[in-house]
Amino acid sequence: MYLHIVVCAGVVPDPLQTLEPVNGPNGPALKNEMMLPAVLDPWAASALYEAANLVACNSGSKLWLVSLSPKAKLQQVMMTIAQKVSFELVAIDSPAGGFVDAQATAEALADAIETIPGLDRSKLLLFGGWESASRGAGATLQTIGERLGVLDQFMGVDQIEMREDGSFEVLERVEGGQHQVSICAGAPAVLGWATGNLPEPRNNPQIGMANMRNVMPALQKAKPAVIGDNGLHYLSASLPSQQRQTRVAKDMSLDAIAQELVEWIGAE
Amino acid sequence: MSRSDPVAGNGPPEIERQSIEADIVCVGFGPAIAGFLSTLNRAWMENPVDPLFESKVAPGLPLQVLCYERADDIAAGVSGVVTAARGIRASFPDLNPADIAMTVPVKSERILYLLDPIGASRRPFSLRMADRVLRALNGTLGVRNDAYELPWAPRFLHKSGGLIMSVGQFNQWVGAQIMASGFVQIWPGMPVSQPLFAENADRTGDQVVGVRLTDQGVNRDGEPESGFVAGMDVSASLTVVGDGPFGPVGQAIDRRMGMPPGHDKREWALGMKFVIELPAETTLEAGTVWHTFGYPEPEIFGFLYVHPERLASVGIFVPSWLGDPARTVYRYLQHYIQHPALWRHLKGGTLRSWGAKSLDESGKHGEPLLVGDGYARIGEGSGSTNMLAGSGVDEAWTTGVQLADSVMELLHNKRSFTQENLAATYEARRRASWVESNARDAMNSRNGFHLGFVPGLIGMAIAGLTGGTISLAVNIPQTHKQIEKKRVNRARELKTRAAAMLAVEDGRPLHEAMMSARGWPEIEFDGSLLVSQQDALLMGGKVQAMPGFADHVIFRDAGLCIQCEDKTCIAMCSGQALTLGSDSLPLFEREKCIHCGGCIWNCTRTTAEGLTNIEFRAGAGGLHSAEN
Amino acid sequence: MPESILVLTHAGEASHSLSKASLETVTAGKELSARLNAPMTIGIISANYADTARSLAGVNTRVLGVAGEPFVEARYATDAAACEALCRAANPTIILAPQSSRMARVAAALAHRLSGCIDTHVTSVRGEDSPEISRWFYRQRIEGVITRSMRPWILLLEAGTYSAYSCQEGEIAVEQIAVALPAIRTSVSGTRAPAQDAQTIRPDAKMLFVAGAGWTKKQPDGLVHASEAGDLILAFLRQSGASLGSSKSLVDQGGDGQPVLPFLTHLNQVGQTGSTPRHPKGLATCCHGEEPHVVGWRFIGDRRAISLDPNCGWARGKADVVYVADAFKVMSKVNELLRSKA
Repeated sequence: MYLHIVVCAGVVPDPLQTLEPVNGPNGPALKNEMMLPAVLDPWAASALYEAANLVACNSGSKLWLVSLSPKAKLQQVMMTIAQKVSFELVAIDSPAGGFVDAQATAEALADAIETIPGLDRSKLLLFGGWESASRGAGATLQTIGERLGVLDQFMGVDQIEMREDGSFEVLERVEGGQHQVSICAGAPAVLGWATGNLPEPRNNPQIGMANMRNVMPALQKAKPAVIGDNGLHYLSASLPSQQRQTRVAKDMSLDAIAQELVEWIGAE
Repeated sequence: MSRSDPVAGNGPPEIERQSIEADIVCVGFGPAIAGFLSTLNRAWMENPVDPLFESKVAPGLPLQVLCYERADDIAAGVSGVVTAARGIRASFPDLNPADIAMTVPVKSERILYLLDPIGASRRPFSLRMADRVLRALNGTLGVRNDAYELPWAPRFLHKSGGLIMSVGQFNQWVGAQIMASGFVQIWPGMPVSQPLFAENADRTGDQVVGVRLTDQGVNRDGEPESGFVAGMDVSASLTVVGDGPFGPVGQAIDRRMGMPPGHDKREWALGMKFVIELPAETTLEAGTVWHTFGYPEPEIFGFLYVHPERLASVGIFVPSWLGDPARTVYRYLQHYIQHPALWRHLKGGTLRSWGAKSLDESGKHGEPLLVGDGYARIGEGSGSTNMLAGSGVDEAWTTGVQLADSVMELLHNKRSFTQENLAATYEARRRASWVESNARDAMNSRNGFHLGFVPGLIGMAIAGLTGGTISLAVNIPQTHKQIEKKRVNRARELKTRAAAMLAVEDGRPLHEAMMSARGWPEIEFDGSLLVSQQDALLMGGKVQAMPGFADHVIFRDAGLCIQCEDKTCIAMCSGQALTLGSDSLPLFEREKCIHCGGCIWNCTRTTAEGLTNIEFRAGAGGLHSAEN
Repeated sequence: MPESILVLTHAGEASHSLSKASLETVTAGKELSARLNAPMTIGIISANYADTARSLAGVNTRVLGVAGEPFVEARYATDAAACEALCRAANPTIILAPQSSRMARVAAALAHRLSGCIDTHVTSVRGEDSPEISRWFYRQRIEGVITRSMRPWILLLEAGTYSAYSCQEGEIAVEQIAVALPAIRTSVSGTRAPAQDAQTIRPDAKMLFVAGAGWTKKQPDGLVHASEAGDLILAFLRQSGASLGSSKSLVDQGGDGQPVLPFLTHLNQVGQTGSTPRHPKGLATCCHGEEPHVVGWRFIGDRRAISLDPNCGWARGKADVVYVADAFKVMSKVNELLRSKA
């Protein structure tokens, strides 16, 4: 029971960095974005690790990583990701980011996926993050799925359990900290991942060496793509400052603190 | 698979390890290895079919060149630098500074002697007299904002025609170019734990046959846990060691192969700096270079370099010869930036990031064996830094280029990487170059500082002006002895200590309290430029520590720690990763360690074998900042 | 160009009425409809809209509904088809829907089928002639205000930004819309609560309690007190009804054998890659208050923190009050007081 898993993953600035918007002629962008350390989008990375796990458990399966990002940033990110799991890279060179329209991005990704040689659409599991750490829309993966005609989609996935016959059980995050349990007859399907349950794989030099054979040529071949704005117009992009006047209570007794807190908790 | 060899001391024999083969393996990715790989890569791109590039381990493929870097990102390098960029420009003749973030040509240079506006610094009598004179002749001499600008800067300190850069951004820029061709693989987040030794072909000694990567999925003591992955062995006919002044591979080779007679790494400095976004109305221009000395302590040299976009790197070097066991850096840095001469430009600015690193200040005194069977040393760890000019990046780069040229020569002539062959090519090239002649001139230039600050300055000036012909010959004390207190006023110091002990009761570290007791004012945090040390660790990035790696700072003999009163390691820890445990033992928190290496040369105790009581091993993680 | 609005709604957990978020979207629709002078229609997806439609009594708009067994559970194929059918029946230029897991699963697909555009996690809809919407970018760090020229334009509205429509007296007439269903390959078998006994995530709680990594660090006595920490935290949650959040560092500790609080999972994480919950009050304990975590506090009203570090991020303008004290001791006393009050 083999699978063809395509993982769509964007590149985002490392979430630990300080981010500031700048307004340019083509709309907002991040200040010094090319200088900021980049990582694979964290939810998409979870999707990638889950995909790799499935490939390992289902012999004959294949894994593609499709990414639309500035080539230089993608190359940087490969230095880390390519050490962790094996994949074939499909790279599209484009200045992607949180301010770019989701659907326009999805069209370019769908175009690229449609041309992946040897991709068996009947065995396709399309993975990605349910939202991105940049745009946070939760629209891109879904749109790709629609473009590819996949009618079984799951969002906010934390777990997939494949069964012998190719069907699988999926857990999706719903309201109240719970999960909805669904059974799907099998591929093709779209899974937008939340965090999943797998830990980040360790860096493995052998995987790195093997991946590099295809990653560097893929990067060199990356076709540039111009993403339209899809009629999207920004009136503003700003960093709201939240500066409160903090009272630092240093010399209060424990009893006084507890009393004050309990009053505050109870107050309307 | 390879089994560990207990005879060669390569680790516990029970663990099975995977192994991979390379032609060349590089340890670390800094300016030196960047120079090495860049030169090799360019030659390959120009002529990929040249037989010298044929791999011996993967027939039909080009040379398998692998580089392993400890930090999570090759841009996590820590330093704003000013460099003459002689070697760098030779490699990139068309270099356009605008192509590299945070880079700008040097426009102006000043050297400032900073007076002490507070009166807490411990100045020798001669210096206090000099200060009085300067203040008295204020108007005539142009002493402004408690600073005296040297009317003339000695040539050996000039970097005109040079560049102000961020090492992190430079590494990133070079690394991207190197990677793009696919010829070389650079892997960050992969610390190298030790070299692999074997008997050499003639059975006359050891050769290096590759390296071992760090075990992953272990607890803090290094014991395997769930997800254990034994560090792989990477075998290679040439190991290029560019892991810096305290890298574990360099250290292991020094221990095994010994140092050249009379050579020892005894002189260090902790460089710590802020990257500050200057206020919008600043008059400081990109390309401005200031060198300072005299404040907050006379021995502390400082700098201010202005990058483009109103970013400034501002920092200090606290040297091993600052003889005070309570020496500390972060607070000194905060006092430094508040000196009137600097504060008038920095006030109102925002702290963007912070970092620290130990610098090897031994120069030629600490030069190890540059080559051996199967290995070569390049960069700061090989003693290439010019201690007179305080220049290291360009020298490191150049040694990398020299090695690359030598490696290609040997490959072309089908000669193997023996000590003899590497000496005849790499070492010979290096000795014949400006790197060597500058290092020789600089060799004793700082010796005077072991006698005192003023002798040090005089000695440096004389050495500089005579091109090293005249310099002070001094016995350089072992590092841990340099800390010993040089008492001017014993009674005063004892009273200060007592005052400090009182302050310790309210939970502050001893060195903090001692500084306050000595008269240094409390820092008034403002949340944007003056922040607590822990806040600084979080600014512009964060200190990272991936789980599953062992602690890399080890105290060899707990008994020595318990007896130690000084605990200078705690005072000097850049990230406050070392704190005092309840049992008088230092506690190490990997999550705060920025891998500055300060602890190893600030330990005042040595074990029975003569080793410093703190061992610094290979570790992952550390600082994670883009603006560096 | 004249606008027309369709508000898509669905049943909540108590499946006999529309979800609270859906009713908030109805209010939003009414406001927008008045401002743009645009006609408004409501669409309902449910098993039996006769029941759910009661929540809309008095709304005074056209109401369309799809009903039937396939729409009991939230499922992509059927919900997308239902939404599409409702949209084609109403032919709106603007479609409002709640940012619920059910709608989020299909809204982008809907935009694609209608050749329209979409924006999610919308926090406000302003504008006089056409909508100007606000949403957060980069994990609640940057706020953007957007307009679009393409129609139809789907907007998913964040919960808590509008008040829920409250029904009045009167009958409500629903036009049934037929849906052409595709082959159904997915079945929903139910929900699963977290494995742990304690249900610690309470979106409707008045207060968020965040536990940071300091709870499981070595305490002044040199020991880790993880189980005591766990007891204190759980007791507080029980007494106060607060929802539990965590910093990333504390949640990550579970991965490598360090002392861990067993009731914490990644679902509790606030900030960074975690959630951005909405509560009127928040209390941060043993956590430093660094920016990537604090961005998750964007929608928390009053903020207080307990930390031993008087210079932590909270003290630098991120909280209203910082108590410099030992959280173990304080929470122990707080629990005592809460117990005696109860």
